Amino acid sequence: MDKTTCIVVGAGPAGSACALSLARKGIDTVLLERGRTPGEKKVSSFVLLMTELRRLIPDWEKDLPVERNIIRTDQAIFNGTDIKMITSYNYDKLKNPVYFSAFRRKFDEWFAKKAKEAGAELITGMTVTDLIMDNGRVVGVKIDDEELYADIVVGADGYHTKVGEKAGLVTEWDPARARLAVKEVLDLPPEVINERFQLSDGQGCDMGIIPYHFGELSIRSSTLYTNKDSISLAVFAHLGELKEKNIKLHDELEKFKEHPFIHKFIKGATLREYQAHIIPHGGRVNPENLYGDGVLLCGEAGGTTDTASGMGVPTCMTAGLMAAETIALAVKKKDFSADTLKNYLKFLDSTSILDMIYESKKTSDYWVDKGKLERPDCMAAIADSYNQYWNADYMSKDYHPLFLNLYLRVGKFFAPKLIRMIVTPILKGYSFYEKTVEKIKRKIRRRFYEWKKQYDN
Amino acid sequence: MSGKNSMTVDEKMSTVKIKIDKEAHITVNKELCKNCTDRPCLIICAAENYKWDEKSDDLVFNYEGCLECGACRLICPLNAISWSYPKHGCGVKFRFG
Ligand SMILES: Cc1cc2nc3c(=O)[nH]c(=O)nc-3n(C[C@H](O)[C@H](O)[C@H](O)COP(=O)(O)OP(=O)(O)OC[C@H]3O[C@@H](n4cnc5c(N)ncnc54)[C@H](O)[C@@H]3O)c2cc1C
Repeated sequence: MDKTTCIVVGAGPAGSACALSLARKGIDTVLLERGRTPGEKKVSSFVLLMTELRRLIPDWEKDLPVERNIIRTDQAIFNGTDIKMITSYNYDKLKNPVYFSAFRRKFDEWFAKKAKEAGAELITGMTVTDLIMDNGRVVGVKIDDEELYADIVVGADGYHTKVGEKAGLVTEWDPARARLAVKEVLDLPPEVINERFQLSDGQGCDMGIIPYHFGELSIRSSTLYTNKDSISLAVFAHLGELKEKNIKLHDELEKFKEHPFIHKFIKGATLREYQAHIIPHGGRVNPENLYGDGVLLCGEAGGTTDTASGMGVPTCMTAGLMAAETIALAVKKKDFSADTLKNYLKFLDSTSILDMIYESKKTSDYWVDKGKLERPDCMAAIADSYNQYWNADYMSKDYHPLFLNLYLRVGKFFAPKLIRMIVTPILKGYSFYEKTVEKIKRKIRRRFYEWKKQYDN
Repeated sequence: MSGKNSMTVDEKMSTVKIKIDKEAHITVNKELCKNCTDRPCLIICAAENYKWDEKSDDLVFNYEGCLECGACRLICPLNAISWSYPKHGCGVKFRFG
């Protein structure tokens, strides 16, 4: 019977970060991945925030497989027929690079290799099909036709988590809380990209297109950004909404591509690869269900992504690192019961992940049930949240939740008077943003309202 | 819906590399589909693997061209889809994901 200390299922950002950290602590770890190479199953039109990664792999510059260094984020608003640029922010003056564009196929392979080099055993091309249970505790996994035992199993296997499902920890599969993404990677010569996006060699641009006037729209957001010699274009929409409106998202993508604003960037490009994926809301799992006897969940499997910005890679990595801290403690105590693993929540709470989970859940509720996001002030708040993630550091506690932002902007008008009297002044006293971010926000808001006035007239 | 320059889904799917598994990773209980009023699988699948054959009044489904997003699993109102990932390293292999 093959047995190890820890099995990590899934070599995505969460799983590889967890395995890397465990291996560095000298804990026997097997990292299991269903793809023949890590990353080949992933579709993440991908801009990589560097904050956590820089800390984890200080010499990343040596071999991190990047496409372009993103020096500019553009924000535009889209109402179904009209797109208007609202803001543009340059990072090229900053000392450290903030963002890179990258392909997951290469990035995940690189990251898993780092875990392997640190001593984790990487097994690819094998799918976990079930858990092995003993008296309600997880004691191993079934992979294809084999079995592997461990003291603890970490589910880092993404949204469709087998580990979470079989351990009974994940029960939410709500199409209203998941977006479908349809994406195309489009070939264009580097010079043409540079000219259209006004970049020089090696520099990249990331464009977020935020919808306004949700009623008639099915595209909930869209992103367009530059790789070395290609452009990635993805559109996102809620599954429930597509069903309700009987709309094919891939048809919407075609229409979107013909919009003059988009067309001017992608004109003459040929399709390199066609892709689809689910991008879930965060906060899907109640934090009390992130652990069980002999099992932990991290990354998208446990809903540790940010609903508002869709930022998953850095938050999932952070959760993976905290899972590793918890396991190190369990190894020390030689106790892998839920009682010890409960400390996971403490570790998560030392970062901004727990706050983010709660806020993401609230934002998700708001998004799904209340339909209030059409309000221009809410849209401005979302635009803010898109713009703040370049500055986010999920390992520290000062995550700036969108929901509080929404409360200050909109919620306070609806809240009961007593709550208003107590909560608002406290929140106002709390400084959300550094000065620069504050400045960008003002700019977005101003542009947004200007644009809205134009549009409404 | 698409303009004259746009590609069909079949043409788009020809850019995707897939190692086909002998064993189907998705199976559909087609009897249930006959009574389904919405059939959201027909619109949700970006690879258009679910089609309705009017003649035989039956669902036509092809697991081989699957992009493994799992949207069908989430959207099916009758739980007629038994869904899992392909095994043995088979299935889609994105080169630029
Ligand atoms: C279109 C799109 C654009 C996005 N853009 C960004 C972005 O720009 N920036 C950003 O930060 N985030 C982005 N995200 C979000 C980000 O991709 C995810 O949040 C992130 O990948 C989640 O990481 P994870 O490690 O939890 O899971 P995953 O990355 O999903 O990794 C899970 C791994 O487990 C493997 N696996 C699954 N099941 C099994 C099994 N049964 N057995 C063995 N292995 C298994 C999978 O093959 C996969 O490699 C985007 C997502 C999408 C869909």
